[in-house]
Amino acid sequence: MSNAPEVVSLEGPGLERRESAGWRLLRRPQAALAGLVVGLIVAATIGAPLFAPYAPTATDYDRLFGAPSWAHPFGTDELGRDILTRVLYGGQTSLTVAAAATAIAMLLGVVWGFVAAFREGWIGEILMRVADTVMALPVILLGLVLVAAFGASILNLIIILGLLFAPATARLARSTLLVELRSEYYVAAVSVGASSWRIVARELLPNALPVLLARASLVVAEAIFVEASLSFVGLGVQPPETSWGTLLNQGYSNLYSSYSYPIFPGIVILVAVLALNILGDNLQKVLDPARS
Amino acid sequence: MFKYVLRHVVSSVGLLFLSSILIFLLMRVIPGDPTITKLGGTIKEVDVETLASIRRQLGLDKSIPEQYVSWIAGIAHGDFGSSYFSQFPVTTLIEQRVGATLELAIMAMLIGILIAVPASVAGAIWPNRFLDWALSGFAAVGIAIPTFVIGIVLIIVLGVELNLLPTQGHVSFLKDPVTSVRTALLPSITLGIGVAATIMRILRASLMEIASASFVRTAKGKGLLRRQVVVRHELPNASIPAITAAGIIVAHLVGGAVIVEYVFARPGLGSLLVDSVFQRDYGVLQALVLLAAAAFIVTSLLVDVLLGFVDPRLRTETSS
Repeated sequence: MSNAPEVVSLEGPGLERRESAGWRLLRRPQAALAGLVVGLIVAATIGAPLFAPYAPTATDYDRLFGAPSWAHPFGTDELGRDILTRVLYGGQTSLTVAAAATAIAMLLGVVWGFVAAFREGWIGEILMRVADTVMALPVILLGLVLVAAFGASILNLIIILGLLFAPATARLARSTLLVELRSEYYVAAVSVGASSWRIVARELLPNALPVLLARASLVVAEAIFVEASLSFVGLGVQPPETSWGTLLNQGYSNLYSSYSYPIFPGIVILVAVLALNILGDNLQKVLDPARS
Repeated sequence: MFKYVLRHVVSSVGLLFLSSILIFLLMRVIPGDPTITKLGGTIKEVDVETLASIRRQLGLDKSIPEQYVSWIAGIAHGDFGSSYFSQFPVTTLIEQRVGATLELAIMAMLIGILIAVPASVAGAIWPNRFLDWALSGFAAVGIAIPTFVIGIVLIIVLGVELNLLPTQGHVSFLKDPVTSVRTALLPSITLGIGVAATIMRILRASLMEIASASFVRTAKGKGLLRRQVVVRHELPNASIPAITAAGIIVAHLVGGAVIVEYVFARPGLGSLLVDSVFQRDYGVLQALVLLAAAAFIVTSLLVDVLLGFVDPRLRTETSS
């Protein structure tokens, strides 16, 4: 029996099981609050048919430009529609555009960045030069030009925003991957003869994921911001479709009739962008402590 | 040093060149014919010959590389082409509008610095939790808050309710400095808050980092007051990383100008851009976007060169 292998204890200082990232995130009060706010906004907009106090098109001509009241917390608009209801329904458009654009930006950016990192020769050079060139143009400006070119349907907006945010994601994906490519686990995976697809899917991507996830949160915030900006100047979502940006635009043109009309959609955009930014920053700190 | 500057100049010129190609190609792949917009009608009503003569007049009958070369050659001679819509040379249109935008940008920049630097210094001199919390809060909100929201709030509070400042229009600084500054004040505060938040974020981080440097310990050790240490020793050194914010700030100013000029009905380059998007005036559009790219690229170049002067270690770096 003396030959039996000694059981190595995994207990001991420094060897406790690490808490999962989710828990570490929730332990930060800021992040927990931001997460709660984002969750609430998403739930409220998705569940708009359930939560909204009125129908989005229900008009009330006795109550045009109503000030905030218990019946209409955000006031009413030029047709007596409930602004809270319109903000909830408008959020569906804004969040869909932002989420879909982010998905495109992340997918395209990751492929773009990974290819550039793997092919460090002239292919990588060209890919990164293209990214730099696009990034030399302010996002809103390029957005305006692309909207002028392809028209401002919701689908076009999604694609345009996705394309706009892809280069910065590509840059990040490339620099993250270049670090991972110097790691021992990568060398180990190559030396045991794992296929490149397997290495990318099972080894590199999971390790690069934390950085990319934090980035995604910030891209959603930025996409909400840019969509609202474009819609605000009348070059984004087009009425009768409603988004936070179009509400703001209509509220702004009726500023002198009702202050609450532009203010509440504006506050909602601010809160959503702020919460997503805080969430992204904290995600970065929790998932990738070395970098921040 | 010369080699360092040269390398950065060459890569900036290359980047500018590439973005001019990108912008130009973008304008050409655009569906829809600018000549039809120009004629203001549908294609059925226009006979082929008129269309052809307009295309010739605009130079659209040549091949795309030829068009690009003549566009770039024109720019080299200071000729940015002319508006497809109003026929005016683009340079004339830009000259009319550039003042309103420049005044706005300069004032926003000043307001941003005037908020950010004293606030960050105060944060370093009196390290207490409340101030720290307030300043971080301001920076976080200032970055997240959309410019149009600040603008609308300012119009309501300072413009309409208190009736302190004009909310619309623009008067040239050269003609009437006082009215010019007054009309530019609300838009530049609107834009300046974002600038302040951006600078504060970087400045506060670098002030914190530098507080543990040995020269700061020496300064404290020789008995200087806290504020003397911060103002004379920490601030100058902490300002260097803040220079790198210049690129972000220029991008913020260019993008923000579009929104702010819309909110405050200011006849600047931003509103010219929005107008030309609505009119599909590609002649103006391509010139404006190229100008914005140039502003950003030149700023980045200046930042790199300046950093190279300040920090000799950067000059020896070979790859970017």
